[in-house]
Amino acid sequence: MRIAAPSAAAAGVLAAAVLAAAALIAGCGTAAPAAPGPAAEVTSSGAPFLATSVGTPSGSWAVAVMGGSAATHDNFWQLFVRPAGVSVWKLATPPGTPDNGGLVVAAGGPSVVTAFRPSQYLTYTPLTATSNGGQAWASTGPLDGVLANIPDALTAAPGAQRLLALLAGGTVELAAAPYASWKTIATQRSIAATPAGRHCGLQALTAVSFTLTGLPLVAGTCSHPGRAGVFADTGGTWDAVGPALPGALSRERVTVLRLIRTESQTVAVLAASPGQAASSGQAASLLGAWSADNGRHWTVSPVLPLGGAALASASFGATGTTAVITTTGRADVITAAGGQWRALPVPPPGTATLAVGPGGEIDALAVHRATLTVWQAPAGGSGWKLAQTISVPIQYGTSG
Amino acid sequence: MPGMNSGVNVNDPTVVAAFKAALLHQGLIALLIFFVVGLVWLSLRAWLPSRAGAASASPGPAAPAPAEPAWRQVLRIGFGTLWLLDGILQAQPKMAIGLPSQVIGPTAASSPHWVQQVVNWAGTAWSYHPMQAGASAVWIQVGIGIWMIAASRGPLSRLVGLVSIGWGLVVWAFGESFGGIFAPGLTWLFGAPGAVLIYAIAGALIALPDRAWHSRRLGRAVLAGTGVFLVGMAILQAWPGRGFWQGTVQGQPGTLATMTSAMAPTPQPHVLSAWITAFTGFDEAHGFAVNLVAVVALSVTGAAFLSGRPRLIRPVLVCFTVLCLADWVLIEDFGFLGGLGTDPNSMIPMTLLAVAGFLALTRAPATAPEAAPATEPATAARWPSQWRDRVRPVALRQSAAAASIQSVASVGAIGLIVLGAAPMAASQASPVADTILAQAIAGSSNPVNFPAPAFSLTDQHGRSVTLASLRGKVVLLTFLDDTCSVDCPLIAQEFRQAGQLLAAESRHVELVAINYNPVNTQVSYIQAFDRQEGLNGIPNWLYLTGTTPQLRQVWRQYAVGPPEILPAGSMVGHGDYAFVLDQAGHMRQELNFDTGPGTQATKSSFAAELTDAARQLLAGK
Repeated sequence: MRIAAPSAAAAGVLAAAVLAAAALIAGCGTAAPAAPGPAAEVTSSGAPFLATSVGTPSGSWAVAVMGGSAATHDNFWQLFVRPAGVSVWKLATPPGTPDNGGLVVAAGGPSVVTAFRPSQYLTYTPLTATSNGGQAWASTGPLDGVLANIPDALTAAPGAQRLLALLAGGTVELAAAPYASWKTIATQRSIAATPAGRHCGLQALTAVSFTLTGLPLVAGTCSHPGRAGVFADTGGTWDAVGPALPGALSRERVTVLRLIRTESQTVAVLAASPGQAASSGQAASLLGAWSADNGRHWTVSPVLPLGGAALASASFGATGTTAVITTTGRADVITAAGGQWRALPVPPPGTATLAVGPGGEIDALAVHRATLTVWQAPAGGSGWKLAQTISVPIQYGTSG
Repeated sequence: MPGMNSGVNVNDPTVVAAFKAALLHQGLIALLIFFVVGLVWLSLRAWLPSRAGAASASPGPAAPAPAEPAWRQVLRIGFGTLWLLDGILQAQPKMAIGLPSQVIGPTAASSPHWVQQVVNWAGTAWSYHPMQAGASAVWIQVGIGIWMIAASRGPLSRLVGLVSIGWGLVVWAFGESFGGIFAPGLTWLFGAPGAVLIYAIAGALIALPDRAWHSRRLGRAVLAGTGVFLVGMAILQAWPGRGFWQGTVQGQPGTLATMTSAMAPTPQPHVLSAWITAFTGFDEAHGFAVNLVAVVALSVTGAAFLSGRPRLIRPVLVCFTVLCLADWVLIEDFGFLGGLGTDPNSMIPMTLLAVAGFLALTRAPATAPEAAPATEPATAARWPSQWRDRVRPVALRQSAAAASIQSVASVGAIGLIVLGAAPMAASQASPVADTILAQAIAGSSNPVNFPAPAFSLTDQHGRSVTLASLRGKVVLLTFLDDTCSVDCPLIAQEFRQAGQLLAAESRHVELVAINYNPVNTQVSYIQAFDRQEGLNGIPNWLYLTGTTPQLRQVWRQYAVGPPEILPAGSMVGHGDYAFVLDQAGHMRQELNFDTGPGTQATKSSFAAELTDAARQLLAGK
């Protein structure tokens, strides 16, 4: 027999006769025992949903995956920064640590902490921090676990003195600088068991954040319709602090897809869906919510119908302006509280995420292999204009 | 299937050279075996010519030995030749590494999970010891072949039938995944029920006692069994929804055309490839007709065989032989051309079996077996005293002198089988893979002897560790990047396994890694790495780190080259090294420790290499 002959013979295998002889000659010799080996390989690719951008007073940060196939670990996540007062983006990916598993950025004032989701045999999450806009990075942490594969799995308290992390298994951990010692403060199950969790019917955790005053916030998916699962740790108890939703959504299940803190408010992006699709992002509609008082009061946006698409990426400006692109290539933006969703021109091909500038202008960051192309849509503009091209020196084959 | 692939290239020159050397070495031993056996036989014949003659006559009124019937000759010589050919095919250079991953694995891929588990067990054993396994398959099969051809009668001839059953079933189960009978695509056209199962059936017929040789019932039974099988295969072939009735399905080749089109590109003479390509095109155009012919042919042949009527069977057998040959050429593509062929597949064995059954049905002599029943009771009654007589040294010598050259060849062939099986059996006593795998990936170690550069670093517990503090122990040293996601975890596991293999000796050995990452140098990182790799509970494990300048100095002193910080999200670029330091702090071996594919087999092989190095130093070598 030979290769590709599915039922042909293979007269030549070593097998029981020889092994039986082995047992006779050498006692119960065995083949190699199953070595404990490295822990199971972690799924390598972050979902495209990890692509995002966030505006901070010190500048805008954007995350996108570039390179080649995630299956062969030739995908490399990149971090770009546009410092405040500067109109161009530059590559700021922290060096020295493989990031094929995805990058998650947590901004806390002037400091930014970046987490490298583990890939392949790595099963813990390295961290690195910068306080000068990505010019220099200092290793910190690590987080001894696999960070969840979502863009708000890591968040920094104001001043970045504490980090809050959501792990892949649904555990919420907290650490003080330098983030080497982590403490579990909640799990999906423990929050679900609280009165607030039961009221929500909490099914999964999807984001962590801090309130403006530094209280840990956790968000998730509610199985009970018409409820938005946002919970604040108020002295050891988890209280529901999610927004009240419009009556039109009272029969829909809601997932908090994004939850971030800007300088002046907490911003959430919620997905509402009549069925199970809500938890997978296949929502019927999106809406934004803003709170400036630790979740006591929220302003909720009008509903944005998705038409069968899912959220591909959400981006946030420093003042809470929120821009989204969907899996069907549609782009919309809404300014902070009280605004209306405004359709943007169809983003250029390969757009990974949008970025909201300090003046309300929108950038589309488009990726093709190792090239990032920045397109700009001026506020009120009707089209995209090529603004910048960055060639990223990806080292193919270095992580597979 | 994890155990199937050692990860080493099938053409790896180190392994190929070692396999050839092993075969050559064992081949010389095989020749020596035949030489010695032959010499002993000739010597005994020369010393004891008259007694030998007397001995041969001594049993007195023994029954006349029945002539071997034609059907048995067909089976014995036919299947002996097949075993011989299979053994020769096993000697292909790629076979040592390639058989588990390129032959067994694909064969088992479509079978149920439990079959894959069973097959994976054997594949793992082969992958761990590819030299011994490859060579043993060669000599066992060559041995069975020679033995079967040489031994035409007597206990040795029947015994080889039993050996053929045993080894055939082993190969059928582990090598052919039970002939694919549990896989969804089962069809006679592709080789069901597995060629080696037919070898085993032939072995069973060869092992039958003399008194069964001349019964027409045997031929009738063989043909009836074959007939039932063929009718079953016809029904399966006709079963709708299996893709055989269509030449193309939604623009894609049907099941048969897919198979044959995969065969055509394999390395083989152009004319053969052209035939298969033409047949593929014909099947795509006339898939229904091709399958109809197959179904009808199998049904008619099966029915004819079941009838037991020689006049009907004779022409059908001729047609069936033609059909088998056509299938062998056009569908099975001779079974072994190109790729890693291990046997000529099922059609030749199937034909031999059918022909033998027909001969048994039609050519049974009327007279020969009659004498046997009369003599056997008397022989049985004398058996205890005969047994004692026969084991006396003189009697043994006389028997040996009286033996035929066929018997002598059989004894030599048995020696060949032992020659093949014994090293493999012995290697199974080792729970780790052969070091040849590590050497194939990373090359041989480089022996050196000079004082190892001193260092003073911090371990995973925050304690200061110097090289001098490790004096008196053998040190297995490596450099590990604590956020490396591929090689370093594999190397760490190789060191961990080396520690396990050393068992009690490990208290005299220190397993030491030095951080190879210039960015993540904190103790918290090496602690996280240790937890990840399950190293934090190992008493003789040290993972050392320091400030970046301290680490740079050590990297420079050990000439491992500074790690390269690559941009854009890549891991740190670095080499993979291991060093073996003796109890006096002298560097004694440098090993390239590129982990390669990091399979269980290669990890185990590297661990074995480290263990061997440590044991040599512990033994004072």
